[in-house]
Amino acid sequence: MSAHPTRREVLKAGGVGLLTFTLGGSLVKLSPAQAQAAGVPLAVLSQEEANTLAALGERLVPGSREAGVVAFVDHQLAASPADCMLMIQYLGVDPPFTPFYREGLAALDAAAQARHKLPFAKLEDAPAEALIDALAEGKVDGWTGPPPPFFYFVVRNDACDVVYGTVKGFAALGVPYAAHIMPPSEWGEPS
Amino acid sequence: MTALPTEKIDAVIVGSGAAGSHFAARLAQAGKRVAILEAGPARENKDLVSSMLWARRLKGGVAPVLETGKDTVGYGFNSGHGVGGSSMHHYGVWPRLHANDFRVKTLYGRGRDWPMAYADLRPYYDRVQKECGIAGDQRMESSQPPGAPYPMPRVPISEQGRIVGHGFEALGMKVSPLPLAVTTRAFKGRPPCIWDGWCDAGCPIGALANAQTVHLPQARVAGATLHPETEVVRILTDTSGQRAVGVEAVTKDGQRVKVMADVVVLAAFTIQNPRLLLASATPQHPNGLANSSGALGRFITTHGAAPIFGLHEKETTPGFGALGGQLLNQEHYDDKNAHAEQGAFGSYQWMIAHAIKPNGLLGIAPSRPDLRGKALSDFMQRATRHIITMTGVVEEEALAENRVTLSPRKDALGVPLATVAHTSSKASVALWDAAVAVGLKVFKAAGASEAWHTNRAPMHIMGGTVMGKSPADSVTNSYGQAHDLPNLFIGGAGLFPTAGGVNPTFTLHALAARSVEYLLANWDSAVG
Repeated sequence: MSAHPTRREVLKAGGVGLLTFTLGGSLVKLSPAQAQAAGVPLAVLSQEEANTLAALGERLVPGSREAGVVAFVDHQLAASPADCMLMIQYLGVDPPFTPFYREGLAALDAAAQARHKLPFAKLEDAPAEALIDALAEGKVDGWTGPPPPFFYFVVRNDACDVVYGTVKGFAALGVPYAAHIMPPSEWGEPS
Repeated sequence: MTALPTEKIDAVIVGSGAAGSHFAARLAQAGKRVAILEAGPARENKDLVSSMLWARRLKGGVAPVLETGKDTVGYGFNSGHGVGGSSMHHYGVWPRLHANDFRVKTLYGRGRDWPMAYADLRPYYDRVQKECGIAGDQRMESSQPPGAPYPMPRVPISEQGRIVGHGFEALGMKVSPLPLAVTTRAFKGRPPCIWDGWCDAGCPIGALANAQTVHLPQARVAGATLHPETEVVRILTDTSGQRAVGVEAVTKDGQRVKVMADVVVLAAFTIQNPRLLLASATPQHPNGLANSSGALGRFITTHGAAPIFGLHEKETTPGFGALGGQLLNQEHYDDKNAHAEQGAFGSYQWMIAHAIKPNGLLGIAPSRPDLRGKALSDFMQRATRHIITMTGVVEEEALAENRVTLSPRKDALGVPLATVAHTSSKASVALWDAAVAVGLKVFKAAGASEAWHTNRAPMHIMGGTVMGKSPADSVTNSYGQAHDLPNLFIGGAGLFPTAGGVNPTFTLHALAARSVEYLLANWDSAVG
């Protein structure tokens, strides 16, 4: 590089953009939270999987449903591996990562069905929390997905990412974001 | 984009990270025609987005690596993706290895010796330090091996650093400023660091010494060409099998090309180097190039990261500073048997008072994976103001069975993927346990209201193309020159016969400086 940009230049260069979603046949730019609220079609996950992920995410990290944990995970699973922002890529799991999520979410729902004849998303507080305790401890009878504590760890981190890993998340914690270069969007392709 | 050379050049370099860019700069400055082939994409400062999410695009390499064994190596986190490789986003902690690290077999009867002594490498450490810039305080750093004074003043110490430093001192242990390859003042056209703690996303202002900031610009000015998204799939040898003649690569648009050169420098990171050599087998080299010893791919090591956390009543502004930390402790480093009564072997150091962000693998939230719901929300509010942190860099023994092999699975270009099998020795795990016990004691002594640690995690990846004195049990000589192919040089931490207990980047630069000096002085005999 011939010269290093000044702090002011780099701040100026990075506008705050949004993700591009297809809605009603046309491209629109929405934040993941807006995308979720607008019911943007899922690219990878089924609606049942999305419901389970949202319910688990919200119980692990309050605020993650509204912050868009489903839109985040779904969007990243659809992205090319080089653009993937999911923490799972650090954790020694062979790509692609969709089977990991799909099998984990299915196993969680199966466990909820076996225990209470309900999908996980429909469980009341006490049975849902008891099942998460079992998940974290690796003690879910008949579990067939990825190792339960590992699945818990991955989804918890995804939920933390959307709640705490954004400009908005820092503001909610009351800590300065202090970016060198502002993210072009919260977690999507550069716009 | 610059066109690939169509005629034979002097040197083709595979990989544009710390080692590759260093070779490229020196060779081009000596008048050699040099091309650097980089599998990953070009990276500009604007790509270094301040976000623990966006930062994840900078890691993981191009071809996936399959990990097996009890203690996987963490390729996805420890590797780099794009021009600059992992140097682009490394944390710039640059201590030197100590004299005993070079003589593990001789001194302790286990592991391997390096084919050189500390004194042999010292001048190159000094030279690299002067060129790249390290901030530190040699007077305070009594654990430092002999060397030139640091060219930049020490990093600033925050409340977090003061608190943890007092914990060490209360137990009679010394801390000193952490040697960081980060600017604390204007240095050779680079501005001083502003300590905003986003090191994991790479440094867009050039405060960090990495390929982008130091050696790639030098290489470019001297006429070397850089070719991103050009993935080397094979190293080519002549019909005699005695010399490398160039590489075969696939460009972004899918073209398969040959780049012919008198010298091939392989600097594609610890795992991809042995993968490429194994995948380049010929009738003369049926077990892979540079593998007559059978040592290729073996002796993969990592450091066991020992992350310690605590909460303190004082506000610690933990989001700011350098991610690598502020202070260093190397208590007992020079005695690898210091914890022998616990069954432990090796050396370790503490990197103290990291800048830590709310999320991310090294962030605040994953430090307490047991917390969820309201307990997590409450913890996050408190910890983002009051957390204190440090990480042990714990040596791991080099074992032959920890190795890279080729998988039956292939990448899109038809090259078998690397499988890395890795399980730490009992003595290495015991050393980690001993370090964690000390770390928790330090945090209690520092006045932490609670202190905890997370699991043992892999940090840095070394070995796989180890150097040694004998062609019978190592891949290269002390200059990174392949025993079997004198015009094939290897750069990077893959050369390390043993891991030591310090961060590898400074040492791999010192080795590269020594190798390229040797190569230039012995060009004709290497080329043959």
